[in-house]
Amino acid sequence: MKYAAREGFSLAAVIRETTVKRETLELNLIVDQLNLFFPLLQKGVTIPAIVGCTLKSLLVDQLAIPADYVTDRITTIFFNNSPVDDLERTVIQDGSRVTLSAAMPGLVGATMRRGGFYAALREGISHAVDSGKTVDASGTVRLKLFNLLLGELGPTVLARGIILEQDEFTELLCTLPPQANHSLHDTGRVLLSATFEGVPR
Amino acid sequence: MGAAGGPKVTVSGLGDYAGLGGRAMTSLIVAAEVPPLAHALGAENKLVISPGMLSGTVGSMTGRLSVGCKSPLTGTIKESNAGGQAAQVLARLGYAAVILEGKPAGDDLYKIVINKDGINVIVDNSLKLLDNYPLVAKLRTEYGDKVAYMTIGTAGERKMLSASIACTDPELRPTRHCGRGGVGAVMGAKRVKAIIIDDAGVTMRPAKNIEGYRDANRKFVEGLRKHPVTGEGLPAYGTNVLTNVLNEAGGYPTNNFKTGQFAGSSKISGEAQAELEVKRGGSATHGCHRGCVIQCSGIYNDKDGNYVTKQPEYETVWSHGGHCGIDDLDTIARLDYMDDNIGVDTIEMGVTIGVAMDAGIIEFGDRAGAIRLLEEVGKGTPLGCILGAGAAVTGKVFGVERVPVVKDQALPAYDPRAIQGIGVTYATSTQGADHTMGYAIATNILKVGGDVDPLKTEGQIELSRNLQIATAAIDSTGMCLFIAFAILDQPETFQALLDMLGSFHGITMTGDDVVALGKRVLSAERDFNKRAGFTKYHDRLPRFFYDEPVAPHNLTFMMKDEELDDLFNW
Repeated sequence: MKYAAREGFSLAAVIRETTVKRETLELNLIVDQLNLFFPLLQKGVTIPAIVGCTLKSLLVDQLAIPADYVTDRITTIFFNNSPVDDLERTVIQDGSRVTLSAAMPGLVGATMRRGGFYAALREGISHAVDSGKTVDASGTVRLKLFNLLLGELGPTVLARGIILEQDEFTELLCTLPPQANHSLHDTGRVLLSATFEGVPR
Repeated sequence: MGAAGGPKVTVSGLGDYAGLGGRAMTSLIVAAEVPPLAHALGAENKLVISPGMLSGTVGSMTGRLSVGCKSPLTGTIKESNAGGQAAQVLARLGYAAVILEGKPAGDDLYKIVINKDGINVIVDNSLKLLDNYPLVAKLRTEYGDKVAYMTIGTAGERKMLSASIACTDPELRPTRHCGRGGVGAVMGAKRVKAIIIDDAGVTMRPAKNIEGYRDANRKFVEGLRKHPVTGEGLPAYGTNVLTNVLNEAGGYPTNNFKTGQFAGSSKISGEAQAELEVKRGGSATHGCHRGCVIQCSGIYNDKDGNYVTKQPEYETVWSHGGHCGIDDLDTIARLDYMDDNIGVDTIEMGVTIGVAMDAGIIEFGDRAGAIRLLEEVGKGTPLGCILGAGAAVTGKVFGVERVPVVKDQALPAYDPRAIQGIGVTYATSTQGADHTMGYAIATNILKVGGDVDPLKTEGQIELSRNLQIATAAIDSTGMCLFIAFAILDQPETFQALLDMLGSFHGITMTGDDVVALGKRVLSAERDFNKRAGFTKYHDRLPRFFYDEPVAPHNLTFMMKDEELDDLFNW
């Protein structure tokens, strides 16, 4: 099944696997279409993951984000709404919520910064370090990207694949150009991966 | 303004105030010369306008203007500062401060013209009841486009406690406001509608060490440009980039502080705002004054590409947005324009509307209702005058228990139950609830409080104390507070700032000098408040912060009173 290409929208969507509960959809888009996914990435997307690992392992080993990028660029991280200071002592569980942000302005921006000088100002909500043994298992993680990381990590996350519930997928389709085949609205949960070609303007 | 026979102008030397600027100048003058028990709208109060220590120079980011007085909103000492062109132009004319004293008899309205030939105070009753945008448009027909304007809208003329003083930006829009504390009401009480500042025929203020100053400024700018916050995040998204982050932290006060997360946050985030601005032909990157390299502001257009307002700041988007349950950027932009035009503080007004929603005057999320309430303020109706008096008065009039104020000034956009350290600053600030009172985050570099073991965590009281000291000092330089990140992370950028101060004044400045200045300012402010009747019992948050846990973390404010009382012990 293919979408008809639209002007300014190089789209080739293929459902390569159909099951009762989940279908797989691959999109090849031009890079200027990346920002169509920004609202979704801000609100959060579900990604398949091996859980039971550390947060650092999720980012570096599973999402393939370079370790120095994690250290230098992803300066603000939330785990289930709590600011994180220690990535290696934060354990991912099935259904965990992870939010990634670049450095933020202002005192509160500094306060939320990972391991920052002003972390004590928010000690009541900081994530307490996890301890104990963990067991790897298949699961999902809810991932959000904010600000500068939308453009920088969005392609990586989308290429790896995100799981969209039907309502999320329907909402996404509304933001894309009109589709030739609306039968996708009835596909239920979708594993969507998108790759982007071209140089950002 | 109250001299026999009409307003009189006196120009004098600086005396004991030599070398000061910005908040140091305004606070030390007010503390020394205004009777603490004076009525804030009476003749005894003084309105002190002072550019920063480096304003008017070629230095980057030096365009903050401080306005100080006894606040009619809080009853405390007040310093409120803004960007715009006024600080640079006033400083180039050689004035370290302009002080409005007394109060004229009668109903005449005045404008003050300051240029290289001197200062003239002129009656101009044709300006009566003009709001800021039409007021500046009218003044431009007479004084042109190469000047800076400081004006009050109808809120200031009506002496509303939320009234601001507007400073024009490089495009001569009245968008940069000394907003907090009702300073516009004090200007209105002195019957001054506009100050026209014309620097034609004067040059930049020269540094004592010209080469040293130029070199330090170059390094300072390099530092700002290479830092991810000042060089990337703020230019791309502005301060509203904080919406998503605060919401994620559960510290985004929603529906008048009932919960810490807003379902519509992603619709009004800085990311969404920037994209919309660019799409509509506006801009997500714009400076509020010439010489700004951070460019954290922007231009917000409507769907047809017509100018609506400057890019609403994080605090404004929150106060009119999440605080009121409104998730529509066009409504928020409209309210921001109205705030600027009428001349009211966007934090105070947004919080007040949220309190009015809690009172049942309109429903949370009522976009048209919020605009209607602000129109009442602009018209000066009885309801508008109540709302224009701020959140504390509105809460009392309508019997609302949850009124988020400290010393009668509305809280900014961070819930102190989630971020308790911010609550310490809200409670103990010399100026009422104000996030910028503890904003200069370079305390570790400044070594405020001495050498701190980097492996040892400072407590919240110590951090807040040190932040307030550092902020008082930075507020005196005329530097934008957003420089703080670059000087926090990059020691060479902090050194460049010290070198700018030192080479300009021909002295060697150290971090200790900066800290000493901050302590001097804070001590004077604290002493003024004490003489005005404020005690440690005023350094508290409203009770509901201690009683009502806030989701998602379900925390109350837990700092002990004795800890708060220890903040000013140094």
